[in-house]
Amino acid sequence: MLEVKNLIVNYGYISALRGIDFEVNKGEIITLIGGNGAGKTTTLMSISNLVPKTDGTIIFEDKDITHLPAHKVVMQGISHVPEGRKIFPALSVRENLITGTFGNKKMTKKDISDNLEKMFVLFPRLKERVNQGGGTLSGGEQQMLAIARGLMMNPDLIMLDEPSLGLAPIIVEEIFELILRIKEEGMTVLLIEQNAAMALQIADRGYVLETGNIIMSGTGKELINDERVRRSYLGD
Amino acid sequence: MDYYLMQLVNGLSQGAIYALMAIGYATIVGVVGMVTFTHGEVIMIGAYAAFYAFSFFAENLFLGIITSFAASWLLGIVIYKVCYERFFDSPRHIPLICTIGFSMLIKNLAQIVFGPNMKAMPQPIDLGFINVLGVRINTIQILIIVIVISLSTILYIVNSKTRWGIQLRAVSQDKKASALMGINVQRTTMIGNCIGCGLGGVAGMLLAIYYQSILPTMGGVLGLKSFISSVLGGLTNIPAAALGGILIGVTENLGTAFLSNSYRDVFAFVFLVLVLIIKPEGISKKVGGRP
Ligand SMILES: Nc1ncnc2c1ncn2[C@@H]1O[C@H](COP(=O)(O)OP(=O)(O)O)[C@@H](O)[C@H]1O
Ligand SMILES: [Mg+2]
Repeated sequence: MLEVKNLIVNYGYISALRGIDFEVNKGEIITLIGGNGAGKTTTLMSISNLVPKTDGTIIFEDKDITHLPAHKVVMQGISHVPEGRKIFPALSVRENLITGTFGNKKMTKKDISDNLEKMFVLFPRLKERVNQGGGTLSGGEQQMLAIARGLMMNPDLIMLDEPSLGLAPIIVEEIFELILRIKEEGMTVLLIEQNAAMALQIADRGYVLETGNIIMSGTGKELINDERVRRSYLGD
Repeated sequence: MDYYLMQLVNGLSQGAIYALMAIGYATIVGVVGMVTFTHGEVIMIGAYAAFYAFSFFAENLFLGIITSFAASWLLGIVIYKVCYERFFDSPRHIPLICTIGFSMLIKNLAQIVFGPNMKAMPQPIDLGFINVLGVRINTIQILIIVIVISLSTILYIVNSKTRWGIQLRAVSQDKKASALMGINVQRTTMIGNCIGCGLGGVAGMLLAIYYQSILPTMGGVLGLKSFISSVLGGLTNIPAAALGGILIGVTENLGTAFLSNSYRDVFAFVFLVLVLIIKPEGISKKVGGRP
């Protein structure tokens, strides 16, 4: 479904990605794990074309999307829930959710209101705050809103950048359960996490990113049991 | 007493024009995320567009509104292409200086093309007077207030009730996140800029009708007054900018009533200094802006 080939990204003199290759198949949960500064966010940002690539090719559903402008990448069916949530603070919760539908021109008014209802079932707390400004929500609620907003367009692929960052353990559990539910609905998930233990438990396959290189890949189980992964990322 | 009441009415109608300029200004700064110093020239071009429409076609108010809005909209496209489009990732002072330079260019071109002298503005409606509770209000003042209120209401409805308005506000708050939502950020920013310019253009027409005259250099002080009105709302808050415009209009007119007409423009600047001293961030906090 998504194929990333020889992706190289430099920020000035800093090389953030040094030629990574990976692929995501339909219906999978793929996770990209790695420490702070490994290049995880950069990977997603360059797929979405918000940072310029030095080299590399991105293929999505057999289409070369390497040079599409950011908003057109979204229109291919790729939803990107960015690091740090990036919800619109001065839009209400409902308006924030509606911005999530701009990426899918085929949605009708009815599809949109159906999806709103669906999100309110999935996230009852958002329903209570539907007319509140996005900026007034707590961190956990903002993350819920960011994920819900990403789901509103019925994406084929949803890319989540550290959805568990800075959240209480109980909310982290909730979010990971939700990701499993998203998969059951037939969506494909590309999950980026520093919380490697949780991510590998739910992932079909994973890649380990270190200073801009993919140093290891395998199924979630393989990686969880790997000696090096355990030492570096699971704190054993 | 009646004299002061009349000055208050004058202040309110002039303030309504300032409010429209300021609404345009705040719309621009909100969506572009950068301060502009071309707004005065945008206002002037709107006034001249109406001037030529009145002179060559018909002295029809509706035609004037459409022409001034359209002309300033087109100028908005040029400003966007020249001053903003390639500078979103540059330091803020670059587009700022660019708008200053561009404003000088337009001002001087206007003097060549339109002629440097003041001209009489054709009047699309007959001047009449109505007595309200002993205060004489003229029809142009009523017209100005009606037009400004209608345009602001339309803008409010578009902004708060339509999908397009949500898109515009999203882009004003966070351009990167907006791109991730599938919004064409460049196009939305340009159209938002053009709407703000168009409103400025209509304000220019109204001001020329109000003063019955038109001048290529009229923009300078008007651009500054738009800026000053918007400072009250942290540059991007539209209702606060409108309030700022009305306050400046009223202060100017009451000020001239109590003191002298030669101090007219001083009041706006005193107002700016006071706002900056008392409430440097404006009466409302700026939300979002440039990512
Ligand atoms: N905007 C930027 N400008 C310069 N360097 C950056 C920028 N963003 C990230 N980097 C650098 O690129 C590397 C990868 O960063 P990032 O992709 O954010 O890592 P991660 O998400 O895995 O923590 C880091 O060394 C970081 O300092
Ligand atoms: Mg990151």
